Amino acid sequence: MSTFTNPSTDGRNGTANRTMNGTMNATKNGAGHGAGNASTTEATRRPRLSGMTWLVWRQHRAAFWTMIAATVLCVAWMIYQRAQMMDFLNAYGFPAKNLDDAGKQFDPYIGAFTSVTTGLTALPVILGVLLGAPLLAADLENGTAKLIAAQSVSRNRWLATKLALTGLVVTVTTVTLSAVFAWWWNPIKLHYLDIEWTSREFFNTTGPAPVALSLLSVFGGVLIGVFLRRTLAAMVVTLGFTVALQAVWGYFKLSLGDIVTATTKPVSPGTTITFPSVPRTAHVLDTSYVSGSGKLSDLTTCTDTLSEEATASCMKKADIVGASIDYIPISQMSSMQWFGASILFALTAGIVVFLFTWGRKRLV
Amino acid sequence: MSDVMYAGEPALEAHGLGMRYRRGWALRDCTFRLPAGRICGLVGPNGAGKTTLLNIAAHVLKPTQGSLSLFGGAPGSVESGRRTAFLAQEKPLFRRFTVAETLRLGRELNPGWDQRAAEDIVRAGNVSFDAKIGTLSGGQRTRVAIALVFGKRPDLLLLDEPMADLDPVVRHELMGTLLAEAGERGTTVVMSTHVLAELENVCDFLVVVSGGGVRLAGDVDELMSVHSVVTGVREGEGLPDFLGYHTLVEARTSGRQFTALIRPEGPLTGPWEATAPGMEELLLAYLRSPDAPPLVTPTAQVQGQAFGTGTVAA
Repeated sequence: MSTFTNPSTDGRNGTANRTMNGTMNATKNGAGHGAGNASTTEATRRPRLSGMTWLVWRQHRAAFWTMIAATVLCVAWMIYQRAQMMDFLNAYGFPAKNLDDAGKQFDPYIGAFTSVTTGLTALPVILGVLLGAPLLAADLENGTAKLIAAQSVSRNRWLATKLALTGLVVTVTTVTLSAVFAWWWNPIKLHYLDIEWTSREFFNTTGPAPVALSLLSVFGGVLIGVFLRRTLAAMVVTLGFTVALQAVWGYFKLSLGDIVTATTKPVSPGTTITFPSVPRTAHVLDTSYVSGSGKLSDLTTCTDTLSEEATASCMKKADIVGASIDYIPISQMSSMQWFGASILFALTAGIVVFLFTWGRKRLV
Repeated sequence: MSDVMYAGEPALEAHGLGMRYRRGWALRDCTFRLPAGRICGLVGPNGAGKTTLLNIAAHVLKPTQGSLSLFGGAPGSVESGRRTAFLAQEKPLFRRFTVAETLRLGRELNPGWDQRAAEDIVRAGNVSFDAKIGTLSGGQRTRVAIALVFGKRPDLLLLDEPMADLDPVVRHELMGTLLAEAGERGTTVVMSTHVLAELENVCDFLVVVSGGGVRLAGDVDELMSVHSVVTGVREGEGLPDFLGYHTLVEARTSGRQFTALIRPEGPLTGPWEATAPGMEELLLAYLRSPDAPPLVTPTAQVQGQAFGTGTVAA
């Protein structure tokens, strides 16, 4: 070390005696451009985190391990609950016997869904507030962003590693939870009528929906954190953001599907009106009477009459010849989720781009 | 010693550097040059712009106007990022990391890392490698932070009030380590402080900033040689007329006695006693009189800069 010549070429001396051997030294001049070259070589040699990845994992390991452990526990619980449900269904004689007749016997198994969906629907909010908001805000508040800026790595690499590792953990956990939950629900999905597939408990927890909602919540929280530079303030604002995101998503989710209208064949006015049949588990949006001229009227038409004859004559007078039902079949669920999720993914990508172009300048 | 470090090469060069925050200018029209291999004291009152200047050099802040270069490169470049180490005033570290993990951070993120140098500094303070940063005392934390910047083996070391929370013994020890290191490797050091006594026998270069501008910059010996302290008896009201021929930095009177720190523009004649000033005396005089004409000696001037002014010639 006393024969020091130039730091940019002789710089590996310190680590050489610890981790590197002679061949490493021989090749280093060719690969000595970027700060990360040595560490990537090391990383491929043994399955150990190194460089920036090590730092980001070390800094957030508590959060990452908590997420992984919670996912494992939740998955185990769902596997157990599914086994319980399958035992019941086999004993009951499903699918030969209709589940609608099971009545109260099946209630505990539906209750088990509720216990898990409460957590799963809150997951984007929890991740956004506890993981996204402090991800960079804490570094900016404590000055550790300055510490990283003073090392020989670029700010882009730090930002990229943080976002990539966080995005990876969020994606892996939410994909796992989403898939296992869907697998649990699948046997009764088309047969049990009391579960509304458009409800947030099932629409937001299966397919790509929880992944997209979580990623947008987390990266939105990161952006809020970079903007506010205070952990607590960022967490509070992120809470508002994620709750608002859930509300907007809930408000618009039905617009993601194509509404199907089923209409009965016209009968002569005054005869009994039968309603069109829609697929089981379809989400019914609107039911109405159809008059001879094709006009839709409310189901309350002729309900304030005093006798059946009066009703019949009222219906005849109103020229009601049939009925129509607007609905979204469950077969659209997946495409609706993917359509919505792709919008959320695009917004997330926009946030990431914005973090790199604008946020990078604020990262000290 | 590195071949790029000949005496004339500037380690740091500021050109009309200015930084404006929401509440006003923290640094304005700051122009000077620091040759490589020097130990430079950056002196100034609180809020003078020392931290701002160091933060610009460390690529933490972007200047509002002007430019700063490190070994000819921009502060954000890969090259200068690798050659420069910065110890921020608040000495940020990850509180939940152990000391060993903190040093590993340095090793993982710096290609030129010197684990032994860093470990030696930590060991000299009897700090346990397994202790969490959050459990250390302020002084111990400073020691770890200093180990982290030393382990990087930089060519330019930027230290913002490095010794503020250290006891005198530790301060002396770390200063010794710093000087030995700098002497051995030819490291350029910029160290901000407002403890003037800390600078004597340590610095061979001085930059005084005050009110956002450079008041004094140059080689210590050079600065000492162009200043004189004149003491004498006052005749009548006011200062003696002869002081008008020289550049007056600061004058004080007590009774019939006067003391003035001047930059002589010619021979000093008369019944006055002229002595060479001490470093602390010189710095105090400049810090106390913000209206004194600034002085940038030739070694501290960037090309095209006129002698004795704080501005760049167009």
